[in-house]
Amino acid sequence: MNTRTTTLPKRFHEAVLKWKDTYLSDYDYLLENWQKHFPNEPQFQLCAYREMGMCTEIECGTMKGKPKFTRAADMLPEQAHHLHGAIRAQASTEFGSIQQHRLTLARAQDEEEQFWILRMMAEELRHGYQMLHLLVEDDWSSVSKESTSDMLEEILSMNTGSHVLGAFNIDFDSFVDNVVFCALIDRVGKYQLAMQKISAYQPMAESMPQMLREEAFHLAAGVVPMRRWATAAARGDVYVTMDDLQKAINKWLPRGLEMFGDERGGGTNVKYGLKPMKNAEAQSQYYDEVSKLVRDLNLRYLRARVENLTLPDSETVLDRILAGETVEGVRREDLLHMPHPEFFRRRGMHAFKMTGFAGEAFDQPQDYLRHLTANLPESYRASRDFRDYVEALTQVAGGTLKPEEAAGRMPSLRRVGGACPCSKSVRWVVDEPRPVETPAAQPAIA
Amino acid sequence: MIDTASGIRIRPADELDISAIVGIDEKISGQYRPEVWERRMGYYLRRDPESSVVAEVDGKVVGFMLGEVRSGEFGLEEPTGWIEVLGVDPGHRGKALGRRMAEAMLEHFRRQGAHTVRTLVDEEFREIGDFFRSVGFEPSSLRAFVRPL
Repeated sequence: MNTRTTTLPKRFHEAVLKWKDTYLSDYDYLLENWQKHFPNEPQFQLCAYREMGMCTEIECGTMKGKPKFTRAADMLPEQAHHLHGAIRAQASTEFGSIQQHRLTLARAQDEEEQFWILRMMAEELRHGYQMLHLLVEDDWSSVSKESTSDMLEEILSMNTGSHVLGAFNIDFDSFVDNVVFCALIDRVGKYQLAMQKISAYQPMAESMPQMLREEAFHLAAGVVPMRRWATAAARGDVYVTMDDLQKAINKWLPRGLEMFGDERGGGTNVKYGLKPMKNAEAQSQYYDEVSKLVRDLNLRYLRARVENLTLPDSETVLDRILAGETVEGVRREDLLHMPHPEFFRRRGMHAFKMTGFAGEAFDQPQDYLRHLTANLPESYRASRDFRDYVEALTQVAGGTLKPEEAAGRMPSLRRVGGACPCSKSVRWVVDEPRPVETPAAQPAIA
Repeated sequence: MIDTASGIRIRPADELDISAIVGIDEKISGQYRPEVWERRMGYYLRRDPESSVVAEVDGKVVGFMLGEVRSGEFGLEEPTGWIEVLGVDPGHRGKALGRRMAEAMLEHFRRQGAHTVRTLVDEEFREIGDFFRSVGFEPSSLRAFVRPL
């Protein structure tokens, strides 16, 4: 592996350490116990890694074959604007996920799984650090009037509720959220990182390989506990049931799908060589991948419930059960199912459509809300996030708000003053309805 | 890498390959051991997700080879690639899947700075020993010792 290791200038590095002291207070505990849980593995380092020897020509879009950019100032203004938005959004998600995970980390029943999540949080901190490094190392004055200090302060001041992407504004309710978030939302992260690996901006491309290596374990930190829980549920454990897993999937999958951006967009990123796929294509691959995960979990559950089932028979039996047959006491409703891609959506072309879990259409918001409450975790239903959704849906259904405007009402970032990194100067604010953006012009993580 | 003519693709293993690996192991060993492979895959994905590979035929995982580069063990200070476990679905043998997976892993080990790759094979499993000889491995002076406890 040919990588270069760098750190932020001292004052910015210290700002991240200060942030870490606030939101990742178990960091020192992790380092002290690293060898116990990860014997002979290199100790974690808070730094930025750059992969050397990567492709130096733009790999897609209208500039394909030309040299990649090493400075934002050399890029087209709109191209640099999209890139800057993506870096800022990526940084926000990395720091945001730590703020979410910390809420319920202590509730883990299994020490190994808890340490996996704690390691993952430290690596997310490093990923955020990596994105800050991109902002600090280059001159972004062509696309942002903010000083470097202000850009960093803004990102480090975000809290759950003020992050750029919806999935990072939802509080966790239990350790089930820690795990399912890793399996579903970090999977979106994997797609974003893999796409950005070909970025026309060389420093961005060089930042991705190490982040992708670390992300592979983050997915395992979600999938392996989910497999174990499915097995335990099949054997009668009462801690995490299949219904709990299903409702957690229902909570997070719609947000994961929306992280790809509007289904009609993404062309600008492809045109400018920043990503190789449009939003809908990447989102579809993601949906298929989660479907595979759900099938694997069902097989794991089935083999634990029906212990004499042979390998060749298990797939066939699973298909029979999914088709509605009860086999060896296992019913269709005992298994996990994929929510319809339009279920519980509030952004993109399916926003506020009132599509049910199985794709059924609802006419009345009251009926749809009853359907949602039956399919979402009880603790989530009492959240501010869900309340905002319900209010927006009610107005959309009543004709007083367009779906696009309602999507704009979902939490978004606005600066409200303050200068110190710990002043929490960026608050949860709900923007007034704004003009509808064309999909191609939406910023982009998409 | 993908060979479109044969439908064979060698790629890094990921967490969604656990079920397929469990299945291949079950076909070979007759034991259903998901817990073992969940733990092992967690380990390899944490250490270096690019060092372990699977072989797909027409989109289905039918082989796996797990390993990594380590230093400082058994007095071997230099970075050394280790191939630690492999399996090919009995219904897909004879397609050079093991050779292709080994080539992919060795290439990765080289990029990681390793100049040597090692493995341990029980003499009872002659077929596996023959496989490693066929891809250039030779007996080593480093001998395995064991004592029951």
